[in-house]
Amino acid sequence: MEHPLHPFELHTIIPLSLFGLDVSINKAVVMMFLAVGLIGGLMLMARSSGSLVPTKLQSLAEMLVEFIRGMIHETMGPEGMRFFPLIASLFLFILFCNLLGLIPGSYTVTSQLVVTGVFALSVYALSLVVGLKLHGAKFLGILVPPGTPGWLVPLMVPIELISQLARPISLAVRLFANMTAGHVILGVLFGLTISGGLLIGWLPFSFTVALYGLELGIAFIQAYIFTILTCVYMGDAFHLH
Amino acid sequence: MPQFDSQFFSSLIFWELISFGILVWILYKFAFPPILEALETRERTIRGSIEQAEQNRLAAEQRLQAYEAKLSGATQEAEAIVAAAKAKAQRLLEENEQRLRAESQRIQAETAREIDRERRKALQSIRGEAADMALLVAEKVLARTLSDADHRRLAQEALHAVDANESVD
Repeated sequence: MEHPLHPFELHTIIPLSLFGLDVSINKAVVMMFLAVGLIGGLMLMARSSGSLVPTKLQSLAEMLVEFIRGMIHETMGPEGMRFFPLIASLFLFILFCNLLGLIPGSYTVTSQLVVTGVFALSVYALSLVVGLKLHGAKFLGILVPPGTPGWLVPLMVPIELISQLARPISLAVRLFANMTAGHVILGVLFGLTISGGLLIGWLPFSFTVALYGLELGIAFIQAYIFTILTCVYMGDAFHLH
Repeated sequence: MPQFDSQFFSSLIFWELISFGILVWILYKFAFPPILEALETRERTIRGSIEQAEQNRLAAEQRLQAYEAKLSGATQEAEAIVAAAKAKAQRLLEENEQRLRAESQRIQAETAREIDRERRKALQSIRGEAADMALLVAEKVLARTLSDADHRRLAQEALHAVDANESVD
């Protein structure tokens, strides 16, 4: 039976090096290119028929735009629309990486902790920059929740610091762990199907089918969670409590 | 876990930043502005259409009221015309009746006069005949000839007798 973590292994396809840095093309990189190409192509196609009565693809794109716009308005307010392109791109990129990973034989980019980590850290760093730029030193007030008695401040600051630091970590780990776990379970069940043969193999196979549907849902939900948490963190930077 | 194989970290981070950067640029530059604009245009168009429809509805309602008022006026007018026509017809009918009645009375009276005249004429002729016959009878009774003057006298007497008889009748 194949090792359940085997699908997460990467192998260099085209060795490349930039200023001594290894930037080789591997399967995950190819999947990123594919995701960018698909998103870009679909969105440009949706845009090209920018008529008053929308086509199906245009309706879908507009629904997506409305969805993300609503998310931003709820968490950040109208001024958050400045970050709309970034947040919408983030949502689409994660969603497409999740979905493309479900195609058998492909690779789930978001099952790489380093990929989700870069997104989480960048987003968190951006929220800090925005907060400091908007509110200056007052932004450090996020470490002291409102209504904290003076004598509790020495205790609250470290706790709040830890909760702040947990934000990017939880953001990164949540997506990575969900994607990895789902694919591991799918891999294990499929391995059981193969080794079970026709007599008993149909049972794990039916689970595989059901779980595949669940994974499709999770692909959407995780992309949504990542995006909405991004919005929430940015919203905290916009509006100090 | 193969995901923690640091051999691929640099290439993954590098290409992630590059590809995500390209994606943001494409969408920011070419895809989102027209889609957002199309959404806003549609929103404006729909709002405008709804307002226009509301205005049209109000105008139609006003026109309907005007038509209804006009219609009720026309109905009253028509009723008045019908009433006038009825009254006129009644008057004509009465006039005609009166005229016919007068005509028939006139004809009746004329007929009565005619009958009277004819009767008188008949009486006149009967008188003449009666005188002649009386003469003849007298002649035969008397069996003698009277003179012309006697004839006349007798005739006058007979006539008076007839007249007297008639007045007795």
